[in-house]
Amino acid sequence: MKKAIHYINQFFAGIGGEEMAAYEPEIREGLLGPSLALSAVLDAEVTHTIICGDNFMGSNTQEAVERILGFLEDKDFDIFIAGPAFQAGRYGFACGTICKAVQEKFGVPALTSMNEENPGAEMFKKDVIIFKGGKSAAKLRGDVKVLANYANKLLKGEKTLSAEEEGFFERGVRAQVWLESGETAAQRGVSMLIKKLAGEEFTSELPIPKQDLVAIAPPIKDLSTAKIALVTTGGIVPVDNPDRIQSASATRWGRYDISQMDRLEAGVFKTIHAGFDPAAADADPNVVMPLDVMKEFLKEGKIGALHNYFYSTVGTGTTQAEAARMGKEIVEKLKEDKVDGVILTAT
Amino acid sequence: MRLELGNFSVKDVLFGDKTMFHGGVLTINKEEAINFIKEDEHITEVDLVIAKPGENTRIVPVKEAVEPRIRPDGRAVFPGVTGDLSMAGQGRLHALKGISVLGVGMHWGSFGDGLIDMGGEGAKYTLYSQLINVCIVADTDEVEERYEQQKKNTAIRMASHRLAEYLGQSVKDLEPEEIEVFELDPITKRNEDVNKLPSVVLVMQPQSQMEELGYNDRVYGWDMNKYVPSFMNPNEVLDGALISGSFMPASSKWSTYDFQNFPTIRELYKEHGKSLNFLGVIMSNLNVTLEQKIRSSIFVAQMAKSLGADGAIVTEEGYGNPDTDYILCLAALEDVGVKTVGISNECTGRDGASQPLVTLDIKANALVSTGNVSEIIQLPPADKVIGELEALARDGLSGGWPYDEILGSSVKEDGSIIMENNAMFCGDMIAGWSTKTMKEF
Amino acid sequence: MVKEIERAGIPVVEMCNLVPVALTVGANKIVPTISIPYPLGDPQTSKEVQWKLRYHRVGVALDALTADITEQTVFNVKI
Repeated sequence: MKKAIHYINQFFAGIGGEEMAAYEPEIREGLLGPSLALSAVLDAEVTHTIICGDNFMGSNTQEAVERILGFLEDKDFDIFIAGPAFQAGRYGFACGTICKAVQEKFGVPALTSMNEENPGAEMFKKDVIIFKGGKSAAKLRGDVKVLANYANKLLKGEKTLSAEEEGFFERGVRAQVWLESGETAAQRGVSMLIKKLAGEEFTSELPIPKQDLVAIAPPIKDLSTAKIALVTTGGIVPVDNPDRIQSASATRWGRYDISQMDRLEAGVFKTIHAGFDPAAADADPNVVMPLDVMKEFLKEGKIGALHNYFYSTVGTGTTQAEAARMGKEIVEKLKEDKVDGVILTAT
Repeated sequence: MRLELGNFSVKDVLFGDKTMFHGGVLTINKEEAINFIKEDEHITEVDLVIAKPGENTRIVPVKEAVEPRIRPDGRAVFPGVTGDLSMAGQGRLHALKGISVLGVGMHWGSFGDGLIDMGGEGAKYTLYSQLINVCIVADTDEVEERYEQQKKNTAIRMASHRLAEYLGQSVKDLEPEEIEVFELDPITKRNEDVNKLPSVVLVMQPQSQMEELGYNDRVYGWDMNKYVPSFMNPNEVLDGALISGSFMPASSKWSTYDFQNFPTIRELYKEHGKSLNFLGVIMSNLNVTLEQKIRSSIFVAQMAKSLGADGAIVTEEGYGNPDTDYILCLAALEDVGVKTVGISNECTGRDGASQPLVTLDIKANALVSTGNVSEIIQLPPADKVIGELEALARDGLSGGWPYDEILGSSVKEDGSIIMENNAMFCGDMIAGWSTKTMKEF
Repeated sequence: MVKEIERAGIPVVEMCNLVPVALTVGANKIVPTISIPYPLGDPQTSKEVQWKLRYHRVGVALDALTADITEQTVFNVKI
């Protein structure tokens, strides 16, 4: 039989309410409180229950997580379940925090459940599968059942359904599905339009996500003493593409020394970007990576220095996660050389 | 404009003494057909191979698909391509249904080429596994582009259109089993019952982004890079006025077969006079610069508005920067009061967690999604390969790669493959066949 | 990519043709270029014209690095 470990707070463990919220992490063999309800519907043996006070987790998060991960080191388990946390905010934070840590460290699925009003849902729904639960413990059995239904499929290696069908919060992870109704895109499109024209409700298959902006970096005060670096997502590389950067869905980037050249020569550099007609960029790579004018600005003293390398990758089809990773790696190099500002050309 | 499509349902395709259609069976004299293909001296080597649904056969690199057809009155099936120009979309057309002619590289693939599995798990990824495919497997003298990732593939693509018309000859003088009629009255001459329904246009954005001619979709033989949006009758699209190009990643492409059977047009016809008044097609394009993209969206919005459209379906042949044309067009239509629905695929990354379209606008609030170009697909070896399997890894197909630290090459020694959905031939069926969508997991 | 650089506190200007894409992606400082395949020099024009265009637009981008902005900004170019 598969094995599960369950995380609950001090209140559901029957240890006490607010006055016991600083209760330190503890692991016990067997079932306790909500574990009984979970055990009844889960196709796995709940071997241990972990208890931690919500305030302890909230105030000493790192220590709490380390101690709990420590408890789990020598345990054999196939799934980790926390909560349900209902509308209890600190408990929700605790469930999200520990599930995220456990799945990262041990690579086992970690699931929890909480109400949509619980701030923990918003905080962790991208990282952890969180089922949409009730507001209070009165919903315990129902919430646990929904969660266990999904957990049981994972344990058996069965196919799981979409977030909506399974009942967990959307994580921003989309995948292809063949509709069992067999309804074609043409039929879906026309019927969606008919509904929209009639003022009836319809559901877009591609909801527009909210925009995520970053804080504006402080501006350069004096350009004439600043060191500038060049970056491109236009796939400009030496003709032999030494870093084997992919022409689409790139996972690699390269940096190339430009300290000894005044411009990028055709035949020495080219583009490997597959998303556009490469003729112009191959004939004169400076139209994508404007080294020639940057060297001129350097000569004129408009900028203080030019970073010795330019950085290149391909933008098309690259995942945001890969782009962010490559961006972080490039930032490390830029920081090492104390770069003050960046010009990024995109195609 | 009235188009009569006479259908001949093909149950089987065989090689034999005489090219003819009888009792649901298309027989092809292989030698004669090959000689006909070789009339184009750019074709240096050619074989014809038949692939049937359910066979454990993998076809790659596929460049084009065409439905075999003929016009009994002798006009060209693809005006401006296989013969002289004449207006498409009217009169009688005969079609062999359930089969397609595929243009396949004997060796060399290119960015926009795709893969088809006729059986097994891979079959669900493309419509063409459900058709009997007459594969032209050819090599050409187009040496100048042999090692280019982008290829025009002119000789093989043109051979596909020509052979489709050649095979269509077999039903030229036969009486079709079924005749489908596509007819729209002129917009200002429609009766009250139709006029009172909400008016709808279909806005099509075919691939036209290569500035060098020869890669793009063509309308009446005209390279669409040199084209501005205009109004077309849907019958023209169904009747060979447009042919596919050789640039867009395969899963996002509209093949010529797709144009000939465009499901979204057929669906609008089905609803015409019932729940909507189908005005026609605003044939737009896809552009390179922002200025061009905005200009096209202005043309489209103005036409829709002036035609009195209440609603529009916008659909793009592509992803990536064409999403900008798509979203701009949807927003421009909404801005002039035309309610829109979009149909396209998306590029949500291999992890499914990336931004699905490169530009987004809250005005685009009714979208149909037909798949994720980046989703990774792994398939076991096939018993038989038509074309050259190595092309998937070697030749820069949009969903294949020669090398990856983690995934290795797209083509494994045992013939199994790992690729992105990008390389599935017309895999996202954006023309409207797709029963695939995207959901949150 | 541009967001990671900005997140690290290094000012960055994205030069691209598809301004709506840069705005959607979340670039804060944007300078338009003339096209996707040749952002900074139209091959149909002379080398001198291409150079002037490139010099001007990259110059605008460098100045943009010094601009104190409070929201996503697209900087104007003259040529």
